[in-house]
Amino acid sequence: MTMNPDPMTMNPDPVTVTAHALHVPDPIGGFAATAAGELFSSVAPEPACGPEQAHTVLGRKGLLYKEDATRLALCAVHRAFGLPPGKLTEPLPGAEHTAVVVSSNVGNARTVRDIVAEMRAGSAHDVSPLNGPNASSNVIASTLAIRYGFTGPNLMVCSGATSGLDAVRLGALLLRGERARRVVVVGVEPDDEVARGLAALRPAAPGTTVPVPLRAAAACVVLEPGGRGPHLGDVHRHTRPDDIADALAPPAALRLTAPGAPGAAGGIDLTAHLGEVYGALGVVQLAVAAAWLGSGQPSGPGGALITCGDGEDGYASVRLDPAVVPARAGGG
Amino acid sequence: MHVAITGAELLTCHGGTDTTFAALTKGVDGSQGLRFYDTDRINVTRGYHVDDSADAESEPPLRAGRWLARCVLGAVRQAGVDPAAERVSVIVGTGLRELRAMERWAVDGVPVRRRDLHFTTAIREVLPEVTEVITVSNACSASGHALALAQDLLAAGEADAVVAAGCDAMSESMLTMIGRVADAPTPALRPFQEGRAGVLLGEGAVAVVLRRAADAGPGALATVLATGLSCDAHHETAPDVGGIVAAMRDAHRRAGVSPHDIGLVLAHGTGTALNDPTEAAALDTVFAGAAPGPLVTGIKGAIGHTSGSAALMSLLVAAEAMRSGSVPATVGLAEPIEAAAGLRLVVGEPAPCDARVAQVNAFGFGGVNAVSVIGVDR
Repeated sequence: MTMNPDPMTMNPDPVTVTAHALHVPDPIGGFAATAAGELFSSVAPEPACGPEQAHTVLGRKGLLYKEDATRLALCAVHRAFGLPPGKLTEPLPGAEHTAVVVSSNVGNARTVRDIVAEMRAGSAHDVSPLNGPNASSNVIASTLAIRYGFTGPNLMVCSGATSGLDAVRLGALLLRGERARRVVVVGVEPDDEVARGLAALRPAAPGTTVPVPLRAAAACVVLEPGGRGPHLGDVHRHTRPDDIADALAPPAALRLTAPGAPGAAGGIDLTAHLGEVYGALGVVQLAVAAAWLGSGQPSGPGGALITCGDGEDGYASVRLDPAVVPARAGGG
Repeated sequence: MHVAITGAELLTCHGGTDTTFAALTKGVDGSQGLRFYDTDRINVTRGYHVDDSADAESEPPLRAGRWLARCVLGAVRQAGVDPAAERVSVIVGTGLRELRAMERWAVDGVPVRRRDLHFTTAIREVLPEVTEVITVSNACSASGHALALAQDLLAAGEADAVVAAGCDAMSESMLTMIGRVADAPTPALRPFQEGRAGVLLGEGAVAVVLRRAADAGPGALATVLATGLSCDAHHETAPDVGGIVAAMRDAHRRAGVSPHDIGLVLAHGTGTALNDPTEAAALDTVFAGAAPGPLVTGIKGAIGHTSGSAALMSLLVAAEAMRSGSVPATVGLAEPIEAAAGLRLVVGEPAPCDARVAQVNAFGFGGVNAVSVIGVDR
């Protein structure tokens, strides 16, 4: 075909995490002293409100018929951008070139169940039309776009246990493909009765007898090319337990892992403190790692290595390296 | 970076690829009485079902995933891809995922596994060696988004071949919301038709195998030049002309084409009060000055609104129309709405076509827009 020359280019700049926020209302760990609890408390000292109190962060306007997952996602984004409480009166600066990628698997499960139950009890006319948008699984991502004015590509990732890092991977891809100058990546899950019922159907992680309880959680990381912040590596997928070993070298200063993940020994499993956060986990881990790297702790070379997933969906991992590797002792 | 389609398969209410193309050429409306649901309560009486059940009461489990696996496997075999020997990613675009299985569990107690909601297991059961399966739930433009991501993965060198796919079965919740906003049950899906009464759901799956054009060798079904993406950031359910125009212009810019180069448009054309005039206005804006403008047709009157599959189904029809030199008429369209007066809609009979470049529109709930530009050798 004699088409015009292929104009598509890829952005070669490293992908960096330029902002991050955690919004986890009710971790299971409470005050129990665990490595996961101590790490999480050190990077997320502020308490996070539950979905019913989201108006304290977001203002009261525009939350009617918004599901728990959407409210928590909004809170995480609001905090990542350091916005004052209340609704913006105009789009965020730079919103025009900002993409959104959200990971969530069961965000609208309860709504879907409720719509069917209400219709079966009467007819379609007994269902509120305001629930209509929630019947579409991408409602979280589109709601973020509408509230903050993000007109870049808008993606909803529902990929199971690897979904969080799948969303991160696609966010980085949108930057490389020059589809956006900034990507807001959010991982979020609710813990309503339908989400918990679905969670109860899964097998326990290898080596355990009882599944970790499900908990609501949201996290946001902002990705930009060549920004000032830790550098994101490539997301790697591992379909076989033995092929994760390559990803574990060189050693990382901080290793965040998932229950049952190959090579998990010695790593910190945040779900021991947070509870199971399913499709939010990869983004939660990345936000924790970015906060940890940015907290001035002597991380040295190696940065952070994150793994999420489960035995059914496989595992994904990614490295996050410090923006500036500190000089070695005695050096320079 | 241009990518070549080296394998493709689809499944609709009309059956597989060949029977679907034949039905489109003949202008067959594939709708039928709605199966599996209480039509009085739900206020929807018709739909475009994939015929996979023994009768109207017995609904097989996990239908979307099974159709998806069949199409992905068929496309991979046609393309001669070996996931054990190269890096193969699968990106699945879907509107409703497998929420139908979740509904049946939550309301009727039919057993389900949580992992059944997404499509990793369905794909790995037939292709265990693929590198990754990513489920993107982007409403009615999901497979257009999957295509954009697939092309970017290839351009970034992150895969050797990518399967972009789409699938959707109807769900009781989505049918309920459609019935909720309809005064009376919609009798037919009629894109751009004066007096049209709304949308009807279709079902099916579609998959295309993509390689970098330089690696593909001869015999590609079509070349994907680019896909443009945008989000309206405007309204949860109402489309926005500005957002749609942005996606079209993004697609043209990335493809390196001008509106003059495009001879055919596969419209999103849902037959709703909101979509059709909005889409027509966006096409008028983008193709102003490119007289006489492209031929325009839509396939939802023949196969229903297949939601997550719609974009890639339209794309395969666009490729077939350019290869065969004949564009199928828009089933259900006789008298176009005033807003579409400026469009060269294909009405009544198939239209001869010498286009080599086509545009494929897909717009989804929440204002998520994906517009693709494809080309064929003729």
